[in-house]
Amino acid sequence: MEDAYLVARAREGYLDAYELLVQRHSAMAYRVALRLTGNHHDAQDIAQEALIAAWENLDQFRGGSSFSTWLYQIVTRRALNKVTRGRDARSLDLLPEIADPAMEPGDKAERNLAVDAVTDALLALPFPQRTVIVLHHFERLSYAEIASVTGATEPAVRSHLFRARRALAKTLEDWK
Amino acid sequence: MNGPMPARIPLDDACLPCGADVDLLLEQTAQGRGADRDAHQQRCVHCQAALGEFTALWEPVAEMAAAPVSVPPGLAAAVMRQVRHLVRDIWYTLEITELGAVRIAARIVAALARDSARMIPGVRVALGRSTHGKGAALAEKATFGHRHPHAAVGVLGRTAVVDLAVVIGYGDPAHQVAREIQRHVTATLRDQLGLRDVTVNVTIDDVVDDDRR
Repeated sequence: MEDAYLVARAREGYLDAYELLVQRHSAMAYRVALRLTGNHHDAQDIAQEALIAAWENLDQFRGGSSFSTWLYQIVTRRALNKVTRGRDARSLDLLPEIADPAMEPGDKAERNLAVDAVTDALLALPFPQRTVIVLHHFERLSYAEIASVTGATEPAVRSHLFRARRALAKTLEDWK
Repeated sequence: MNGPMPARIPLDDACLPCGADVDLLLEQTAQGRGADRDAHQQRCVHCQAALGEFTALWEPVAEMAAAPVSVPPGLAAAVMRQVRHLVRDIWYTLEITELGAVRIAARIVAALARDSARMIPGVRVALGRSTHGKGAALAEKATFGHRHPHAAVGVLGRTAVVDLAVVIGYGDPAHQVAREIQRHVTATLRDQLGLRDVTVNVTIDDVVDDDRR
């Protein structure tokens, strides 16, 4: 069942249709918010608020882009609002620790250090650069899709990505 | 291309000594194509060193990007609880009986109110418009497909507030027509839907001269 069909039904008031959309996209909303804010609680709030805001504004969704692109837009804007309000209460790394019995304790410690380093490096980026890195390298969105989410042009997206990769690589180089 | 290996990673430079663009090399490695080397890169020690180093630098990023993120298990359910809460409270009447709950969608209330208003002599057109509070407006906006085109209504429990904008005939006593609409719509909603408290706000928006049409 296509998202577009579910959106059309949801706009007519079929909550079951919107529930399917929420089930499909809530993980993405949370994941992106977590990577942009680095905070589990903020991410949960942002994802929840974004999905409710999407429902409240379904009449404004014109279908020019996909529902997921629209939701990415809502999530990143809300994450920006949260970040610029100055909260800095990281409660969780971007990558939750996953039990892996096959991993030696030394390897695990090294990996956690690497994860911490990437997390720190990502959060140290200016928000626009962090956004393009997360959307392109973590969410696998194309330049065109990121342009649609951010309202920028494709060349601007690419330019942001160039700068963001350099900044991230420099920080990681210092860490190594 | 031969030459000495670079002494440092050229992250502050635009180009390698061979002229290769550092940003493009970073892009190549970040997109997982560090091993896909073109003819120049296969010969050039600068490019090979940079690609190797960039690949190593980017490895933890790629690893993190590929790792699953645990999503709070109750997230989707919490969203839908809130959406249903907004819709249910504002857009359904609710009567609890000994056999269970009876809910009537607001659009039914709206349709009945509009149709009963049209039965009053003097009423030519009955149209709806939204004059509700913020919560009702949000629900109305979100579920605009359910919004009845000819009557606006807010319901909560067994209470309903209906806004009707009507057009009457030229010469008809506006005040009397409005009062009759209020009485008739109120009685209809009470009798047919079991609503207890009904408020009917009537706005006479226009008068039409039947003879001139």
